Amino acid sequence: MPEKIRVVVNEDRCYLCGGCAGVCPALAIEVHASGWEFFQDRCIGCRICINACPVGALSAEPLGVKE
Amino acid sequence: MKYDVVVVGAGIAGPIVARNVAKAGYSVLLIDKKPAIGSPKQCAEGISIKVFDKYDIPYDRRYINREIYGARIYSPSGYELELRYNEVSGVILERKVFDKMLAYYAAKAGADVLARTEALDVIRKDGKVAGIKAKHEDEPVEIYADIIVAADGVESTVARKAGINTYAPPHEFDSSYEYEMLIEGFDPDLIHLWFGNEVAPRGYVWVFPKDEDRANVGIGIASDHPQTAKYYLDKWLKENNIPMKKILEVNVGLVPVGGFVKELVKENVLVVGDAARQVNPMHGGGMAEAMEAGTIASKWIVKALEEENLSLLQNYTAEWWEKDGKRLEGVLRVRRVTEKLTDEDLDLFIQILSGADAEKIAGGDYVEVIKALLTHPKVLMSRRRLSLLKELL
Ligand SMILES: Cc1cc2nc3c(=O)[nH]c(=O)nc-3n(C[C@H](O)[C@H](O)[C@H](O)COP(=O)(O)OP(=O)(O)OC[C@H]3O[C@@H](n4cnc5c(N)ncnc54)[C@H](O)[C@@H]3O)c2cc1C
Ligand code: SF4
Ligand code: SF4
Repeated sequence: MPEKIRVVVNEDRCYLCGGCAGVCPALAIEVHASGWEFFQDRCIGCRICINACPVGALSAEPLGVKE
Repeated sequence: MKYDVVVVGAGIAGPIVARNVAKAGYSVLLIDKKPAIGSPKQCAEGISIKVFDKYDIPYDRRYINREIYGARIYSPSGYELELRYNEVSGVILERKVFDKMLAYYAAKAGADVLARTEALDVIRKDGKVAGIKAKHEDEPVEIYADIIVAADGVESTVARKAGINTYAPPHEFDSSYEYEMLIEGFDPDLIHLWFGNEVAPRGYVWVFPKDEDRANVGIGIASDHPQTAKYYLDKWLKENNIPMKKILEVNVGLVPVGGFVKELVKENVLVVGDAARQVNPMHGGGMAEAMEAGTIASKWIVKALEEENLSLLQNYTAEWWEKDGKRLEGVLRVRRVTEKLTDEDLDLFIQILSGADAEKIAGGDYVEVIKALLTHPKVLMSRRRLSLLKELL
């Protein structure tokens, strides 16, 4: 059962490079010119984005277990 | 707004498409979300000298930082292999100027160009993609077009919103981090590359000189690795006693190094460059690949518009796969083999090759390189090394 998570960004570390949006299989992240945006309803909790960020700007907050 | 073609993304691929299609007389709009096209850069800025002639790009000193004559490769224990040519083999660009000038060439050819214009979604009419919903500063804009080109880099948002599958598994991305910094002690006529599983898991550390004492110093590692690219680059600088007090820029990005998109066209939407994962999986260079894909795509866009037959766009997929796709799949196979090399293998191979016929290696005679390795006793005595090398033949 995949863990349901909220992905959070540390804005002071993020370079808005767009990489996390590119590797997310679920289009759950959008990187706009003006900021980073997360869409909880699309996230499948795979954590690919968290590993991929070159500077470690992303982390996960647990939200309970998905049925 | 209504155009024949709208191109999203003014990196490398986008302006090439926009320029070529505008040159043929069709109306084109090129948009980019950045307020200044090219800034910030996400690149080590190295490119082969061949691209200028091949893709009809002026050899303009305004965006050429430095001419390069070859490469020096360092193994984990410090063995070196130098490949030096008599003539200029590549250049280190200034991408902030280069990208902007490519957009300028597109504009001069007749395309409209709008910076600070971000595509947010596609517009659908009767189930078909009819254009792009965008935002220019805080104004929403609707851009209608017969053909939509997603040249929006690694994010690939537009292609995916149009229903093109650009998914690649996390192992097929490199996570990259780079400083543009003052650094001394490296021959500024060469690019420098360090390999090793402790140095850069799956990837390498690079020094690409822009001046005698200024360079892009960066790293790429597999993006599914638990540590960050920044962690490994800072570690390498510290271990090599390179002071980190003169940093002019920090550049960050992900590079797709595999998982090339199968269907590059869906009805009237095309995907090019990093968005289509069209990057060399061995070294992560994607500018030349973006130019090639942009050239093929624009050829078929012009044909489709001339003959008023959008099904001709499918030929872009076919031609790209026949030419670059096949070649890059081969490079991907080589990368998968080299990923299995231990630090001892890397030390040994670089030692052997530095004593081998450097002319042949520099000439890129790849089979000769493998043959040189295969004749060495330390390779012959290891079944594992033999079988790894034979996979490459
Ligand atoms: C650290 C690093 C080092 C590299 N070093 C090299 C190198 O030395 N040599 C080399 O050949 N390659 C290198 N690459 C790879 C190279 O940068 C890319 O392959 C190349 O830029 C791809 O060109 P592109 O046009 O496909 O995409 P990009 O150059 O990424 O351009 C995409 C453009 O689309 C814009 N965009 C994205 N989304 C939207 C949207 N929704 N609306 C509007 N605009 C949008 C972006 O702002 C961007 O300008 C490196 C990459 C990295 C990250
Ligand atoms: S990959 Fe990291 S630095 Fe890049 S946009 Fe995502 S969170 Fe920011
Ligand atoms: S955890 Fe997976 S699905 Fe969720 S935002 Fe990250 S990459 Fe996307």
